[in-house]
This record gives sequence, structure tokens and C-alpha cells, in this order.
Amino acid sequence: MFGFGTSQAVKRQGPRGSFDLPLLVALVGLASIGVVMVASSSIAVADSQHIGAFYYLKKHVFYLGMGLVLAGMAMRTELKLFEKHAFLLLLAAFILLLAVFVPHLGMRINGARRWLNLIALSFQPVEAVKLILVVYMASYLVRHRESIETRFLGLIKPLIVAGGIVGLLLLQPDFGSAMLVIAVTIAMVWLGGARPVFLFLMGLPLMPALVIAATSESYRMKRLTSFMDPWKDPFNDGFQLTQSLMAIGRGEWTGVGLGSSVLKLSYLPEAHTDFILAVIGEELGLAGILLVVGLFALAVGRGLYLGLKGVEVGQRFAGYVAFGLSLMLGLQAMVSIGVNLGALPTKGLTLPLISSGGSSVLLTCAMAGVLLRATFEINRALDARHMATRMPALAVPDANAAVAPREREAVAA
Amino acid sequence: MSWRNRTAASSASGRRRGAGPSTRRRMVVVVGVLSLASLGLVARAFDLQVVRKQFYQDQGDARFLRVMPIAVSRGTIFDRNGEPLAVSTPMMSIWANPAEVLENDDRIPALAKSLGVDAAELKDRLAQRADREFVYLRRQMPPEAAQAVLDLGIPGVNSQREYRRYYPSGEVTAHVLGFTNIDDHGQEGLELAYDDWLAGKPGAKRVIRDRMGHVVEDVEQVREPKPGKNLTLSIDRRIQFLAYNELKNALVQFEAESGSVVILDAKTGEVLAMANLPTYNPNAVRGSVPSQRRNRAMTDLLEPGSTIKPILMTAALSSGKFTPTSPLIDTGGGHWFFQGHDIHDTHNWGVLTPTGVITKSSNVGAAHIAMQLDTPLMYDTYRAFGFGNSTNSGFPGESAGLLRVGRDWRPLEKAIMGYGYGLNVTPLQLANAYATLADGGVMHTPTFIKGADSEPKAIVTPQIAAQVVKMMETVTAPGGTATTAQIANYIVAGKTGTAHKASAGGYSKNNYTAAFAGMVPASDPRLVGVVIIDDPKKRSYYGGMVSGPVFARVMEGALRLLDVPPDNIGRWYAGGPLQSPNGLVGNKPPDDMSVDNEPIEDATP
Repeated sequence: MFGFGTSQAVKRQGPRGSFDLPLLVALVGLASIGVVMVASSSIAVADSQHIGAFYYLKKHVFYLGMGLVLAGMAMRTELKLFEKHAFLLLLAAFILLLAVFVPHLGMRINGARRWLNLIALSFQPVEAVKLILVVYMASYLVRHRESIETRFLGLIKPLIVAGGIVGLLLLQPDFGSAMLVIAVTIAMVWLGGARPVFLFLMGLPLMPALVIAATSESYRMKRLTSFMDPWKDPFNDGFQLTQSLMAIGRGEWTGVGLGSSVLKLSYLPEAHTDFILAVIGEELGLAGILLVVGLFALAVGRGLYLGLKGVEVGQRFAGYVAFGLSLMLGLQAMVSIGVNLGALPTKGLTLPLISSGGSSVLLTCAMAGVLLRATFEINRALDARHMATRMPALAVPDANAAVAPREREAVAA
Repeated sequence: MSWRNRTAASSASGRRRGAGPSTRRRMVVVVGVLSLASLGLVARAFDLQVVRKQFYQDQGDARFLRVMPIAVSRGTIFDRNGEPLAVSTPMMSIWANPAEVLENDDRIPALAKSLGVDAAELKDRLAQRADREFVYLRRQMPPEAAQAVLDLGIPGVNSQREYRRYYPSGEVTAHVLGFTNIDDHGQEGLELAYDDWLAGKPGAKRVIRDRMGHVVEDVEQVREPKPGKNLTLSIDRRIQFLAYNELKNALVQFEAESGSVVILDAKTGEVLAMANLPTYNPNAVRGSVPSQRRNRAMTDLLEPGSTIKPILMTAALSSGKFTPTSPLIDTGGGHWFFQGHDIHDTHNWGVLTPTGVITKSSNVGAAHIAMQLDTPLMYDTYRAFGFGNSTNSGFPGESAGLLRVGRDWRPLEKAIMGYGYGLNVTPLQLANAYATLADGGVMHTPTFIKGADSEPKAIVTPQIAAQVVKMMETVTAPGGTATTAQIANYIVAGKTGTAHKASAGGYSKNNYTAAFAGMVPASDPRLVGVVIIDDPKKRSYYGGMVSGPVFARVMEGALRLLDVPPDNIGRWYAGGPLQSPNGLVGNKPPDDMSVDNEPIEDATP
């Protein structure tokens, strides 16, 4: 099923793709840590809500299972399918984002309209939007390479798209995701070859917008500033953060032991979602945090490395998708970890692959699937290249069946 | 494998050739930024978890570490045979976090039902205390009932283990044992006296609590819990029951106000039984009034009346002026007008020996003897027998009685003191004085603890003590004042006493205290008993008639229970020297219904 692990010698028939093993290991490792930590942190939460100790664990495993199915589907889908329908996907993304504001369909929780009410389960469109944005940006970068590299106007379109998404996210409001979208967009455009000056120009109008957005509502302003000194008001604004810091501080080098966290016992809010890293820090200590950071670094590093290879062998779409998804994963992880450590203002961002939370788990799995698919196709292209150099006569016609049309397409764009 | 090896097939224009390295350069920037940020995060984690951990841990500890007491059970109180008299039973107290309970207020009716309280009332109570985290819903429920409450699974309802005192013998031993309060501390009686011993030391543990207040983990033991130690009393539950029952019957029979029985072990001074009426149920103290809770045998004072005469006689014999048979005392027709006061007897006993004074309980005789004694000797003897001093039994609230200093005695007072007025004693003091005579003039400190080591004090010589006991034997013999106190096959030595009750401004004419103090078997006394019956209203009020039978019945049972061999086996034979009126020969009424001394109307000079 996967392209690795077969030790049997088989006759080569065409270029073979393979999923990147270290990346897969990192992703599966993170998801496994996630299951364990969700189990550990959610039992107390579920217990205090009197809904059965394993309520959240069951939910998490269910979504993770669904996510695996989704990831499996994504891993078997040719990326060109996404590339072809990138614009349709983008339309769907906007529809989803707008649907949040439709009465009865959108749900308001904690003063934010982030959820779609799909009768049985709630769905957070932003998770899908993140994936779609990356796909759209990648396809745009492939299609409009020249203009991006040379003209400022080439940047306008992705800017409008990203700006639109950011605007809708700020309306929800979902400041954390908006930041993430902006950061990933900028990074992708940068990796796509935009000139630094353009990027600077592009960022210029963003700055005051961000400042206005951050200061427009008092609660966000408070959140922005309270993280600097959470001990000033540890029972209101600084509450979550102080609890999180206490948890992490208790962890020391190796933690208090799995399951032994105290702050998860109704002290730390959102212990199984946004603040799961605090529980990891308390139960597994610095070692646990280093493990999580290390696995994320491995995943992001492999994603970027293979993306770079893909771009260099001409698999530009796969490469940009790999860039975008790795960055999306990595940046969200960083923000979430930073929030838990009190290094960033408190935002409602989950720790990807680890935190519990329906649509987030589902779509993160899907992202991981697409990322793995990108590595598969890049490896396949590399294999084709390899075969072409070693035995051109045999390999070339066959190998380029999948790759060559894309190359031409890219050139045409 | 190297991706640098660009082949001619894929290379296109120079512009595109530059794409690779350009992307790589740009990637370096991205990776650099990411790495720096990651390093920053790791450094921050290191800072929190290693460098400044103490601050965060202290903050955390302040939030969830609490010191909680570890409940310890109170020591069991046993009687001298190991029967439990007071035991601690584990109980559950139900407490709640009001806010949490109020969140699911639809469950409150079910909760109220299981607690046995009114739902609306419960809700009000919780609402009033909504800002607190801890409210007792009901304290000390039986564990099963408490479990039923907990099984409802209502959030915020918790239990806490406590111990409750249970007294199997209830009101019978109530006064001796006392009782504890809801926090398991002794409030009265021996529970109070030995509270430190019984209570033990509740331990303390440091626990981690979650935000709802539930204990989730025991961190360490701050103080080791020391369970209360057991206490074995000198009380014999069987004799106690006996005494209680007989006292109760007598109170009903004579419609008396109150009464006390004290039984001492003559050899050791141990209290074998101490019963009082009226009494209360120590398992439900709430319904009782203070007068029921008083241990009258130790707190209430009475004038001993004629029961003091054996002590007077001890002084008389010690003085050397008197022997049991000489000199003869002329009771002068039953009246002695002394210093304007009419000291009188019930009958004209004519000329009496000192023994006769005891036998017939002659006030005139006692007054004459008293007047012939040196005041210091008489005072010292009274004092030596423990009057006017606490017995040091260690019982809370024990009264010391009242005995005025001898040099202040005026002659009339001295005469009256000879037959037991003008001084106050407790029943226990009286019993202790008799026990001293019973044990050959050696006084023991009365104690409630089995085997307690008290320092015996010799008060009078064994010879004098034996002589006085001998004289007291005549009291229950035919012609004595207390033939009703006879016990088949045992010689009973004792003395009756009937005293006018002191009331405001003098002595009450028609209210009496009927007393009997005695010891059995008289030839080698093992048990000493005092029976006080206060204010008998019907049938009789003489000590010999009211208290004597109680003494006889209690002692008869006690002697049997303690396997004391009979010392007067002669009564087994028909026509024996001292035929018991109710003994083996039949149930013919006593042929000698002598009456006790009529007490004086006004003893205060």
C-alpha cells in the first residue's frame, strides 16, 4: 500500500513514488502522542462535566479515524486533481467562511462565529480553508510564476484572495487563524520567488490593518497585553496563561509522570485542546516538549526539504503544496506552543495532530495526507529522473507519462 | 540521487536554471526564521521548566496544596471485664460545594429526599452559601445512608469520614462516661477527663485538590495520625446495671426525686458502679436537660446525717476515751436540750453502749460522744476520712464538699456535727470513707480506671477500723435500724442515715435524704456501697427502709457476680443466729421493724 518497506526485489516498471518515511514517522508519532495526551488530559475534563470519563477520548479517536480515512484518500489522489480544481476549491472555501454568518447554520460559541452546525457535528470551516488556501496559492504560483517574479501586480491576486480570507476570519473573529493565513501566504509567495521589495510593499498595508484589528476590541487588546505579565491579574485575564505556566513549571526535566498532571484537574481550561502542550509539559517535562518540538521540526523539515527538491525537479505544484502545508503545520504548532509557554498572546489555536477537536483533527489529517501525497509525487519524479540518467532508453518515455504533461503545463503558464 | 545534478533534459532557459538556487536561498531564510523561533520556544520552555520552575511550582502549590486532617477514631472505653461501654463508629458526613450542586438544581429534590430534609429548604441553604466551597449537608449519617446519597451521583456532593460515639449501655453508664460533642471531643464525665488519652491526635496530610475541592492525591503525611487509646474502666457493667435497676425501682416505689448508688472495691478504691437518676441517653444528648446530666454521686452535696456516726466512732475509739462497750451513755429519755437546742432520738433508748449508739442511731448519744472528744481530733478524723476534700478521682466537676475548720466549731455545731449535720459530702466521699474503714483503715483514692495505682494511706489503725466495722454489723442485725439491708449468708456492716434536706433558710420539715452506706462481707469487706435516695415522698423516708433494701439487693447480686464466698453460712441452718427476714427460712416480715433516727428540725445554731 505504501511505497516503502518492500524488500522483495521486483522488476521496475516505470518510476515509483514513495511516501517520505521520516515525515510519516513524525506525523504518526505526533498523532500517537496526541491520542495519549488527549486521553490523559480529557479524562478530568470529561469527569468534571459528568459526561463519562472517556467522552473526549472516544471523540478524538473517532475523528482521528475519520481523519485517517481522509488522509488515506488524499494520499491516493493525484495532486493534479487538486491543481485542476483549485479555483473551485477556493470558491468552496469562501462559501464555507460565509456560511458561518448564516443564521441557524453558523454557531456562535464564546462570542465567536467559527462553527458550522451540521446537525450531528460542528465543523470549523477555517480548518478546510487553510488547506484550500495552500492548494490555491500553490496552483497560482505555478501558473503565474513569471509575473510573480517580475511584477508587483502579479501579487495582487493572491493578496486579494488571502486578504479576503483574512477579512472573513477577522469577522468571525478568529485572529489566530488570520495570522496563520497571512504568515503562510507571505512565506509561500516568498518561496515562490516574489521579490523582497514586493513583499514589503504587500506587507505595508497589512501592518496598520493588523494593529487596528488587534486593538479594535478590548478583549483582544487585553489578550495581547495580558500575556506579557499574566501574574498581574491571575484570576481574570491571566487566568489561562498562569495555569498553563504553573503546569509547565511543575514539569521540570522529565515531568511529573504521565497522568499525574494536577492542573488538568479543572484548573487549566481547555486542557485537552488549546492548552494540551501545558499538560505535556507538566506530565512529560522538558523532555516531552523537546520530543514534540523535535517531531514537528522533523515533519516540517522533511516537508520543506522534499518540497524544495520537488521544485527543483520541476514538480512545482507538489513542491509548493509541500511548502505551504509544512509551514501551515509548523507555524500553527509554533503559535500554539508559544501561547502555552506564554511567549505569544493567547489565541484559540490547537496544536495540530495532538490537540483534540473535531474538524481540526479531521482537516489536519487531510493536510498530512496531502503533504504525504506531495512527497510521494516528488519522490516519483526523482525516481523518474534517476532512471532517466541511469537508463534513459528504458525509462524516459514511461516515466514522464505522469510528469511530463505537468512540465509542459508549467511552462505554458 | 543528488538533486543538483541537473540533466539536460529538464534544464530549460537560464532564467529557470536560476530558479533552483534562488528557491534554495529563499528556503534558507525561511528555515532560519523557523529555527530561530523554535530555538526561542525551546529556550523559553527551558527557562520555565528548569530555571524559574520554583516560582511556578510555588504558585501552583498555593493553589492546590492543602493540609487536611486525617480523622482518627476515639479509643474504646471498656468495663473491667472488657465489655465495651463507649465505641466509636465510623460515620459519613455529607458536604457539598453549593455552586456545583446548584448547577443541577433539578437533582435537589432527590438529594433532599435521600438526606431526609425539605427540598426547598435545602435549596435555600445552598443558595445562601453559594459563594462558599464547603457546606455540610448533614453530619454523621450512617454509612449506608450516606452511600445512598453519594450513589445519586450528584455533582458537588461529597462525603467525609467522621467518627461518632456510641454508648451501648446508654443511660445506665451515662453519668460516668459522659459524652462527646459532634467533633468527637469529650464534654462530660470520663470522656472529658480522659479526652487527651481517648481522642488521639488527628493526623494531617498534604493533599492536592482539584478546583472543585476534591482530593485527588495525597502528597505527604504532615503529621502521623495517632488513634485514640483504649481505656479500661474499673466499672463492672453487670453491677452497674444492677445498681441502676434497683435504684430505678426504688425511685418509682418511693416516688423519690433522685438517687445515687456508688459501689467501691474496698481493697483498691476502684469504682465498680456509679449510677444516678434521673439520667439521660448519651446517644441522644440533645433531648436532655442539665439536671439529668449531672453525675449526682460526685457533684451533689448532701448532709450525711447518721451515716457520719461510724466516722465519729472512729474518732471516739482513737481518743482512747471510748471502747465499743464503754462507757455507757445515757441518752436521757431521747432528748437533750443542749444550748437551747433539742437534740432528739426517735425513741427513748435509755442507756446505750457506744455500739448501741450506732445500732440504734442515737443522735443524743452521738452528740454526747462528740462533746467528749477533742475538737482537733474530731476535725482531723473527719478531714482524714476525706470530708471537705476532693477525692482526687479526677472526675470533672467533682465537688469537694464542705467541712468547716475545727477551731471555728462552736459547741452546738460540734454536737450536731457528731450526727452528720453542718457538713456537706458527696456520695462518693461517703463511700470512700466507708471503704477506708472496710480496708482496715487504709484509704485509697477512688478511681474509675482499672488497676490504677493509687497511694494507699493508713488513716486509723486496723484494730479500730475492725471494731467500727464490728459495731456497724449490729445495724443490720435484729434490733438495728437497717435489718432490711440484710443479705442471706453474708454479714452486712453499714449505717443508715436520714437527713432533713437543707432548704432556703433552714431545714425542710418534710423532705428527707434517705441514705445507707455499708460494706459486705463484713468479716473481710470486699464491696462498699452507698445508696442515696433523695426526697422519697411515699411509703417511707427512713434510710433503713428506703435505701437499705436497695443496698441489699445490689450487693447480693454483686457478691454473686464477683464470687465472693459467704461469711455467714450459719444462716443456712434453720434457727441460725442471724436469720434473715427474707432469707431462706421463709418470707415472714422482719420481726424487728425499728425506725431510724428522727432527724432534728433545725440543725443550724
